[in-house]
Amino acid sequence: MAFVFRFPDVGEGIHEGRVVEWLVAEGDTVAVDQPLVKVETDKAVVELPSPRAGTVLKLHAEAGAEIHVGDPLVTLGEAGEAPPAGEPEAAAPEASAAAPPREEPAAPAPAAPAVPRRRPPATPKTRQLARSLGVDLGTVRGTGPGGRITDEDVRRAAAGGPAPAPTAAPAPAAPSSPAPASPPPAGTPASTADGPVERVPLSHLRKVIARSMRESKHTAAHVTHVDEADVTALLALHASMKADAAARGGVRVTLLPLFVRALVAVLREHPVFNAEVDEAAEELVLKRFYNIGIAVDTPEGLIVPVVKGADRKSMVELAAEIAELAEKARERRLALEELRGATCTITNIGPLGGVFATPIIPLPQLAIVGLHTIKERPVVVDGEIAIRKMMYLSVSFDHRWIDGAQAARFMSDLVRLVENPGLLMARL
Amino acid sequence: MVVGSVSRGCQVVVIGGGPGGYVAAIRLAQLGKDVLLVERRKTLGGVCLNEGCIPSKALIHAAEIKHEAEHATGMGLSTEGVHVDMPRLVKWKDGIVRRLTSGVKFLCEKNGAELLEGEATFTSDRSLAVETAEGRVEVEFEQAVIATGSSPMDLPGVERDGVSVIGAREALSLEAVPEHLVVIGAGYIGLELGTVYAKLGSSVTVVELLPELFPGLEPEVADTMKRRLKQLGIALKLGYRVTGVTPGEPAVVAVEGPEGETASFEAEKVLVSIGRVPNTAGLGLERAGVATGGGGFVTVNERQESSVSGIFAIGDVVGGALLAHKAYQEAKVAAEVIAGEAAAFDAVVPAVVYTDPEIAWAGLTEAAARERGHEVVTGSFPFRASGRAMTLGSTDGFVKVVGDAADGRLLGITAVGRGVSELMGEATLALETDAFLEDLAATIHPHPTMSEALQEAVELALGKAVHALNER
Repeated sequence: MAFVFRFPDVGEGIHEGRVVEWLVAEGDTVAVDQPLVKVETDKAVVELPSPRAGTVLKLHAEAGAEIHVGDPLVTLGEAGEAPPAGEPEAAAPEASAAAPPREEPAAPAPAAPAVPRRRPPATPKTRQLARSLGVDLGTVRGTGPGGRITDEDVRRAAAGGPAPAPTAAPAPAAPSSPAPASPPPAGTPASTADGPVERVPLSHLRKVIARSMRESKHTAAHVTHVDEADVTALLALHASMKADAAARGGVRVTLLPLFVRALVAVLREHPVFNAEVDEAAEELVLKRFYNIGIAVDTPEGLIVPVVKGADRKSMVELAAEIAELAEKARERRLALEELRGATCTITNIGPLGGVFATPIIPLPQLAIVGLHTIKERPVVVDGEIAIRKMMYLSVSFDHRWIDGAQAARFMSDLVRLVENPGLLMARL
Repeated sequence: MVVGSVSRGCQVVVIGGGPGGYVAAIRLAQLGKDVLLVERRKTLGGVCLNEGCIPSKALIHAAEIKHEAEHATGMGLSTEGVHVDMPRLVKWKDGIVRRLTSGVKFLCEKNGAELLEGEATFTSDRSLAVETAEGRVEVEFEQAVIATGSSPMDLPGVERDGVSVIGAREALSLEAVPEHLVVIGAGYIGLELGTVYAKLGSSVTVVELLPELFPGLEPEVADTMKRRLKQLGIALKLGYRVTGVTPGEPAVVAVEGPEGETASFEAEKVLVSIGRVPNTAGLGLERAGVATGGGGFVTVNERQESSVSGIFAIGDVVGGALLAHKAYQEAKVAAEVIAGEAAAFDAVVPAVVYTDPEIAWAGLTEAAARERGHEVVTGSFPFRASGRAMTLGSTDGFVKVVGDAADGRLLGITAVGRGVSELMGEATLALETDAFLEDLAATIHPHPTMSEALQEAVELALGKAVHALNER
């Protein structure tokens, strides 16, 4: 008996995706849980496993095709079984296949009545608003009667929708080596009156990043507070930790876990930076858990995996997890669970150079901390000029909910911990 | 913008001045674009204004008045021998067409769209050539909108001589009412025009290949229509395949019946209306690289973009429902996308057919709703229980609504009856705003009107009708 496997509801408000690559071909025999296809959604590339064993009778979507929840993906059958006559295609079957070719039936053209596919309940005006704000109505929960989506709902989604984070950051595990150069995307040469151009289709990820960044910039009142820290002592501590871990044959401990732990310690004292705002309820939601987003630069664009429960992990555990997440991000193998739920985010732009930057806050979070280049600079220490390892630290915060004085205090505290790793130890 | 040997340039060229093209041109001009509208006819408005929607409705109304007058004895009115002056009727109809087409031209010009009469063909993905009476004009454009419409489909092996074997265009301008008319194809055009001539006095036979009328609509529609066609004296031959048509006086239509039996019908006029095909021949789509899909229709996305960046297509030439109001909406979407707005076509497309009685629908039928996995509730209110229908002497038909049993949302409406085309604005608004059945039930529908039937049908679906008996 043939079985049609449809694009399942994978949760997280995902209603559509794009087929990236088929991992099986028609005629292949597949086992239960064998990956069938890679599908790119708003959030990640996911592999969909086969729900049963059998033979692949038909693939219903080509690589690159947009698919929606419920669309048929694969027909599976017993070995050698033929697909059923009625194709479960989304498109209406040809009318009256039995009609002789000599004379076409007079088509009153009603065969496919109007409503295309089940549309989220919203009026035409609200649908237009959603389009202009780049909001996918399929991901919006309606608060109107019977779940109707209102203009308000759309605006709220535009303001607080799930957003990957800001500025590019290199592989956090390798602060000393430059990020690999992105391969040039394959484009189509074309010409205009002004000269030759190349047209490169935007990836799904690129469009998602664009929408998130625009939503954040349109919504949050961005302010970036910058301070500098003398990290000479921190680097010395890191060197000794690294040597110790290497001597015990463990993972390579990078500098980033130290910053993660320092951030967590400071977030405990300044909970508004580890929060979001429930505008409908007019409440500030202070989070008593610490999931730190780590911005990762990948050839296809920015991806922000999340280190869950960062307050409960050792430096070595953090180092291993960050390295694994970064690797998975670059290979687009992250599970949805590894991409959601950040309470505050770090972007480690420093190794790529620059003095400092003003990263964009990944909504609905209220802040993002930027780690900038570490450089030897002459500074005044105890009345003398000394050469110290200095870095700029930034925090971009949403001034709607956090004031500049709070940010200054937050940053002073962070600088204090970074400059005095001993204090950091005390607060672990 | 103009380079090399081309004679002119423009920001946007719209090919075809029908309901899609002229609306696109006007909207583009309103949005500040420099627009050139190319039309091969002498008049704008396309098939709709010149030889479709509008002229057919003029004839339908005239035929209806005659028929009503002749069948009003029950109301105490008797008329003797209503005379049909066909040339006068055609002249009245042509006057309406003239007023409308010149009105469209006025609107285009006043909005700032430039008109060019001629036949356009793409020479590349950024240029086209227009053959005009004054010679060839080469046009370079930034964007193009293909709105070339559709034409009647030919019956293979049958030549329309335009005299005894005709299409809809000729059927709207006959010099006299034909004694015998055979209509090939029981689609909406065939049934509308067949009904007109039956009422004007022709003996009409309608031949249809399919075994049933209006597949895809609620089955009650076909039941009502078959009963009414019989009353009008129209012979309906379902499941008959045309095997040959011989023009002449009379023309002869040879058919093969559902059991393989053969027969032939003689006719003064044979109207061929078996469907429509997109107008893409001679357009040079291959030189622009524009892809077509099933049936030769231009492939577009919901932003009306074709496979070539900067080239859009709208209306009949992209397929779907071949209806003017669908083209209007697609035209606005294309124009707004060109102007950089975030537009997309996601509208419910209602349909109306001006048979006697009229047929109109929007949204899903009961069967289609079930196929999509809805648990449905339905309510159907017959016009024979409507006070207004009785006073109009038109109690044929019904309004049927389909709702989602789980959440109470309206999913579809089908109406058959006198003037039910006018119910579709409300029906479509209800679908566009995702109305609940309760919303329609709680909305006062003025009394006495045909629109009350919609409210009653909804109340039947909810099990709380007052003017009909609920089913439980």
